[in-house]
Formats: sequence, structure tokens, C-alpha cells
Amino acid sequence: MKAHWIALACCLSLPALAETEHPLLPGYATQARQADPAFAGFSAERGKALYFAEEQRDGKTMSCTTCHTADPRQAGKTPAHRKVDPLAPVANPERFTDLKKVEKWFRRNCDDVFARECTAQEKGDFISWITGLK
Amino acid sequence: MKRIVALATLTGLALALSLGGFSLADDDEHHERKGYKRPKRLAVPSDAPLVWKEECAACHMLYSPGLLPADAWREQMRTLGDHYGSNASLDPVQEQEILDFLVRASATNRLPVEPSPTAGEPPRISQTRWFERKHHEVSEAKFAREAVGGRFNCVACHRDAERGDFDEDRVKIPR
Repeated sequence: MKAHWIALACCLSLPALAETEHPLLPGYATQARQADPAFAGFSAERGKALYFAEEQRDGKTMSCTTCHTADPRQAGKTPAHRKVDPLAPVANPERFTDLKKVEKWFRRNCDDVFARECTAQEKGDFISWITGLK
Repeated sequence: MKRIVALATLTGLALALSLGGFSLADDDEHHERKGYKRPKRLAVPSDAPLVWKEECAACHMLYSPGLLPADAWREQMRTLGDHYGSNASLDPVQEQEILDFLVRASATNRLPVEPSPTAGEPPRISQTRWFERKHHEVSEAKFAREAVGGRFNCVACHRDAERGDFDEDRVKIPR
């Protein structure tokens, strides 16, 4: 009798124990695999490094943190003094729910910081990190 | 004789009225050349599309379309990939919708396009003759205050700038 209850408890808690992948990640994984067949998954650590990376643009230091601050759970500010709502979904649940919006801002901001497009690998790494923040 | 007097009176009256009318219409700008007047129809239209508000006020304040002539807005929209050093690109459908709105909503601005003094960037509102004149009493130090941020940041001192209200009586320059 006890074994049944234990089994039931385990099965019911499995979904909670399993890491639920963010819904945008499979799409980026497909793209990343197309770009590199040796694609080995996403890394939140790499995503974090991308966020904090600093580049020199027109004599100024640019980084994701320039607008989104060192803590993406806080509100940020653009150089034009416009408030930016927090980037991390834990603070702002609307973030990373709309693929079009996500792609638009990757396109613009990767260009601003890195002077290029971010790869699917980078985007997936970053989303892994930002959506895992508590 | 009577006819000449009447004619002369009429002419004199017309002249006086037109001259008087001219000086009355020429508000506080004593040195404005005829034909170049600062834009005044700055209220944001109530049918302004949401996409304009969202896309064009994500990174800076919402600039009223009347602040620039249509051709200046065209140049803005043509160069969004390098928008004063930033990538502000849009998808083509959104771009067209915003452009159509800006051209329509800036129709009352008949001023000439005044190119930015900085090469390779679209016209700046803050570099127009009328802007310079209206702000000639504001020191560079005031514009440089952190709470102000710069000439681009109208809302710092004109609280209701995003509604097109730049009334001088309501200006408050933060410390």
C-alpha cells in the first residue's frame, strides 16, 4: 500500500522536478543546429556572459547593461532618459512571450552593442539565463 | 473730392489694420522672418496609431509630429537602421504605417528641412532655427544638468511635451 503512494507522489512531482524549457528555446535550438550540426544545447552561463560583455562603440562603452542595468530584474534607462521596464521575466512576466518582439529587440540591440546580429546559439543561451533568474 | 477722401480713408484704414494685424499676429517673436514661424500645431492627434507610440517612444520621449516638416520625418524613417547611432529598424509594415501617420500629422508644419550640423544623421528638432531662438536664454549648463539630460529631452522641463504642450508658463527646469 505504501509503495503505491510513494510511486504516485513521485509521478505527480515529476513535472515540478523536471526543468520546463522556455517555449522559445526549441525554435532557437533548431536554428542553432542548422547553423552548426555540432550544436550541444544552450548554456545560461554563456548567456550571462553575453549580457555583461562590454564593447567599444564610437568611443563609448556599450553593453546590454547600458540600458538594462547590472540587474535585469530592475527597471533600466536608455541614454535618452527613457525608463525601460525590467527585462527578466521574474520581474516582468510579459518579457520573452512574443517572438516577434524578442526578435526585433535582438536585431536592434545586438547591432547597437556588438555591431552584428546575435546567433541563434547566443539568443538561446541568453534566454536560458534571463528566464531562469529568480 | 469726396470719393478721393473716402478712397484715401479706406486705404489708410486697410493699411493700418493690416499693419496692426501683422504686429498682433507676430506674437513674442520680434525677429522672425516672414514665412518662417515656429510650429504651433503640436497637439498629438487622437487617432495616433499605437504602433507609433510604442515604437517611437520606447527609447526616448514621444515627439509630436508637428515639430518637424513631413520631409524631415521621411528622412528619419528612411534611416532607422542608423538612428542617431542606434539601430531603430522596424518591419516594413510597421514602418509604412508610422510614416503615413507622421506625414499626415505633420502637414501643418510648412518649415523647410533643416539638416543636422552633424554629417550622416537625420534632422534634429533641437537644431532648428526656431528651437535655438526659443531656447536662447537657456544656458548650456542647464541643458547639461543630469536631471535634464540634453536638448532632446523636452519632457525634463516641459512636463506635458508628449501631448504637445510647451507653454512657457508651465516650464520647470529641474535642479
